[in-house]
Amino acid sequence: MLKYLGARDGRWSVSGLLTQRSLSVLLIAGAVFYVVLILAQDPQKFLQFTLNGIVIGAIYAMVAMGFTLVYGTVWFFDLSYGAMATIGGYTVFYLSGQQRTIGRGSIHNTAVDIFVGALVAGVVAWVLYTWLYPNLRNRFDRRLLLASGFVLSILAGGYTGFLLSQPLSLNLIFGPVVGVMVAILAVWLLHLALGRPKTTSLKMAVAATVGLALGAYTALLLAVTPGANLYLSWVVGAAIAGATGLALYRGLYFYLRRRASSPLIMLVGSLGVLLTLTALVSIVFSPDGRPLPPPFGETPWRFWGASIKPFQVFNIGFTFVVFAGLVLLLFRTSFGKAVRAIGDDEEVARIVGINAPVIIAVIFALGAAIAATGGILLGEDLGIKPTNGLVLLLKGWVAAVVGGIGNIYGAILGGFVLGMVENYGVWFIPAAWKDAIAFGLLILFLSFWSRGLLPRK
Amino acid sequence: MIEKLKAVSPWRRFTAQPGNVGAALRKNSQFLITLAVIALAATFMLSQGSGFAVRVIQLSAIFAILAVSLNLVIGYTGLLSLAHVGFFGIGAYSVAVLTTHPAYEQVPGHIRYFDWPFFAALPVGMLVAGVVALFVGGVLSRFRDDIFVLVTFGLAVIAHRVFLFWLPVTRGAFGIHAIEKPSIFGFVFDGKTEFMLLTLGFLALVVFVSWLVVSSSFGRVLMAIREDEGAIEVFGYKARNYKLTIWVISAMMAAVAGGLSASEQTYIDPQSFVLLESIFLVCIVILGGLASLVGSLLGALVFVLLMEGMRFIDFIPDALVGQGRLAILGILIVLLMVFRPQGLVGRYKL
Amino acid sequence: MSSSAAERGQEYALETKGLLKQFASVKAINHLTIAVPRGGITSIVGPNGSGKSTLINMLSGTLPIDEGMVVLDGTALRVIKPYDSPSHGVTRTFQEVRLFDQMSLWDNMLVVLTKRNVLGALLERAGTAHSSRAQELLEMVGLWDKRAAFAEELSYGQRKLLEIARALAMDVKLYLFDEPFAGLFPAVLEKVKVLLQDLKKEGKTIIFIEHNMDLIRELSDYIFVLDSGELLAEGEVHEVLARPEVIEAYLGT
Ligand SMILES: Nc1ncnc2c1ncn2[C@@H]1O[C@H](COP(=O)(O)OP(=O)(O)O)[C@@H](O)[C@H]1O
Ligand SMILES: [Mg+2]
Repeated sequence: MLKYLGARDGRWSVSGLLTQRSLSVLLIAGAVFYVVLILAQDPQKFLQFTLNGIVIGAIYAMVAMGFTLVYGTVWFFDLSYGAMATIGGYTVFYLSGQQRTIGRGSIHNTAVDIFVGALVAGVVAWVLYTWLYPNLRNRFDRRLLLASGFVLSILAGGYTGFLLSQPLSLNLIFGPVVGVMVAILAVWLLHLALGRPKTTSLKMAVAATVGLALGAYTALLLAVTPGANLYLSWVVGAAIAGATGLALYRGLYFYLRRRASSPLIMLVGSLGVLLTLTALVSIVFSPDGRPLPPPFGETPWRFWGASIKPFQVFNIGFTFVVFAGLVLLLFRTSFGKAVRAIGDDEEVARIVGINAPVIIAVIFALGAAIAATGGILLGEDLGIKPTNGLVLLLKGWVAAVVGGIGNIYGAILGGFVLGMVENYGVWFIPAAWKDAIAFGLLILFLSFWSRGLLPRK
Repeated sequence: MIEKLKAVSPWRRFTAQPGNVGAALRKNSQFLITLAVIALAATFMLSQGSGFAVRVIQLSAIFAILAVSLNLVIGYTGLLSLAHVGFFGIGAYSVAVLTTHPAYEQVPGHIRYFDWPFFAALPVGMLVAGVVALFVGGVLSRFRDDIFVLVTFGLAVIAHRVFLFWLPVTRGAFGIHAIEKPSIFGFVFDGKTEFMLLTLGFLALVVFVSWLVVSSSFGRVLMAIREDEGAIEVFGYKARNYKLTIWVISAMMAAVAGGLSASEQTYIDPQSFVLLESIFLVCIVILGGLASLVGSLLGALVFVLLMEGMRFIDFIPDALVGQGRLAILGILIVLLMVFRPQGLVGRYKL
Repeated sequence: MSSSAAERGQEYALETKGLLKQFASVKAINHLTIAVPRGGITSIVGPNGSGKSTLINMLSGTLPIDEGMVVLDGTALRVIKPYDSPSHGVTRTFQEVRLFDQMSLWDNMLVVLTKRNVLGALLERAGTAHSSRAQELLEMVGLWDKRAAFAEELSYGQRKLLEIARALAMDVKLYLFDEPFAGLFPAVLEKVKVLLQDLKKEGKTIIFIEHNMDLIRELSDYIFVLDSGELLAEGEVHEVLARPEVIEAYLGT
């Protein structure tokens, strides 16, 4: 455990920070002095700034985790990652915007439904072809398999399109899906808990019953709660962004990467994708900022002259949940082991039989879904805008670098550090300097502590 | 999939055989592309009237100065910089601040004016850009490849914030008005055509200087740095000095474009110097062709025609033209990266 | 004291004193002290990972020296910057060929011949200066006909040849070749052999890394055997290669 927190040769590796010892001392002393100064000046304002820093830091941390997950696996800068946050936010806007009239009435757009439906069909086809087909092709007629896979994909795509066009009854249609997922998850967890090697049919039956009951209950709960629509649309948003990420990798980056002679090709290519997606979102939804429907917990809590919304506290908590999930995934599962192996050396990973393209594709989907989550949570708090994706991407990247790129622990730390520095930094100057401060911090770290606070390994 | 397509492409097979028409086409493809672009551009401009042509040439010339100067850095030295818009802005703001005249006093919230002539302000702008570039280049010389790109990303954002918030000098979002038109020996370049000719003159100068640079031994060392910095250093070249030199030269050229652009519009505000502008420039350079001066000229022309041409497509609502351009540009960039990473007439693949 | 230094300067082309290079926990070069005689061909052998390339990297400034010093031509150096190495009289090739891929062979050669300072280079026309020397070298390695091609279009053997020609273009006293013969076909191998022998005839000092004992016996005058960054043996080639401990540790037959 300590190893991944950055301990090296038995020594705590914030010593990575002390490579330029005198500078570090100077910097830390300066920072402490500055913080004490502003704290003494106005403790209430200080508390508020601290809270603001933590709130926005949680979003940065979320985006940074997804970014570092992808970057630490494939080692190229995927600028289109920013667009995933945008897509997540706008999916929620799209689904909820049809329920309430925002300015110009319904924003329903059949082209979007069809596009997303096709996207999902493609992803489902890929999933079936990658996982089921190799296992089944020797047992069944291949043409039959391919045909049924095709039909299934079309059905999935159609279902998604239908889902998007019926946001009012999202809870009704979506409930069963979530129910099934809950059931599968419950069975899997129980399966683990009951002890894999000694699985008996009785234990399996118990697991299946409990799982099904849980799933059915969830489905019912969702179906009778109209307010669940908003939260379901969050899930849909993350899922659609995940599908987009996967499609981008399989459809473009995979080939580009095989031929790329330098990391710049990937960078410029993904820049093109970012431009296109952002522009398309602007064309469909207008380039202006939009609010998202208010979630729970909008009335702020006040204490000692500072305030924080319960929803923002939820955001912070959720960031830690995602973090915990990622840590478990990366360090406790064979999938995570494979991901880290690819990140360390893709060639070697391939040689030892890891199916790198598939795992990378999943990582892209996961990363995109996390980016979308960040985009959605930020959007619920502050509203959405097509260009926010790029901003979030850059912030997430800065946070990842400050924390130590490629290291999930570094990402969450870096996110909060960045949030705090940004907010404390604008104590004396206009708040709009925040971006400049973020990049100043970035350049400082890249120059002197390029491995970040918690270097990878 | 893409690879397979390429492998079996009949066009490839056709052009790969020596001695036939295909091979001739392939060999002269760059020349033919150049001809085709110019012919298309000329037809298009002529069909739209001279006012349109002047506008397109004026815009293309500004972009061409920027693209040629940026190509020195990206195409020849291999430093993919997105900070160029900063130097563009420094040139523009220097000329703007120094040349505003008394009419400026009538603008509410005015600051002071200097009322310098354009041709005195421009060299100062170049100098300021050069000094800033030297300083920034020192910081940047630590970084390579994608980290370099992303740091320049940050620099572009910082530059924009400075233009926006350094109120005593730039007046922030209000912008600066009443920027003087250039005049020399009593002749004022205030007509659109005259100004276009002036811009073309500067473009010729910039291209000439760039050509001198890239066709010198210095230019060859730049390319070697692009290919393998570690290897060329072993042969006794201090890469840092070379990179800093070309960086400063390039920044000063960008400042020229900035000064011209400010003077042409007689009004500037920070919105013209956002990161997106830098992304446009990189797109132009890559589209036209890396490590090719002609390529940058072509790239600027194609880019401006693409942008201006969108106006004539009826079914796109006016409000969305800007976004439509971006979408097309993005797709173009992706296609280039997949199928032609050296751009239209480039001599270097990223 | 000073006279003895000068004497040594006469005697040795290169000395290292307590040279150390550490990567994380690996001491790639572990307090190495050697002296390479002036003139003639010296070979360095040792198993993979014994620090041979690291040594060359340190001598040419590609890797910074952690501890110890290098005496080149009578001058003691604690720091060697890569761009200073030619002025200390050193040039090199790389184990994994490093050419300027997207430049023509012609430019690959010329680029190491031109003026080093920025202003001088700016004022020098690229096409004309130093072309006769470049032509001579390209003809010597038999690549003159391909001069307009990009270096990336060459075959592996041609790349090795071009890299050696590029090193030969440097007028220095000490040439470091990192596995110049590795993976070459016999015909190309002969060519490289001749190039090294010609260089020796010009009175230059040559150090090369090689695994093939026959080649080492044939070409070199002096030999260093490295193991785990330390000196295992040194001396006249035939004598050293006959020593039992060397045979046991490295040749292991
Ligand atoms: N850049 C580097 N970073 C970390 N370790 C290195 C590096 N270069 C070499 N090493 C290590 O130093 C040792 C010596 O390597 P090298 O000099 O290349 O060996 P040789 O050329 O004799 O085969 C090896 O253990 C290698 O893993
Ligand atoms: Mg070696």
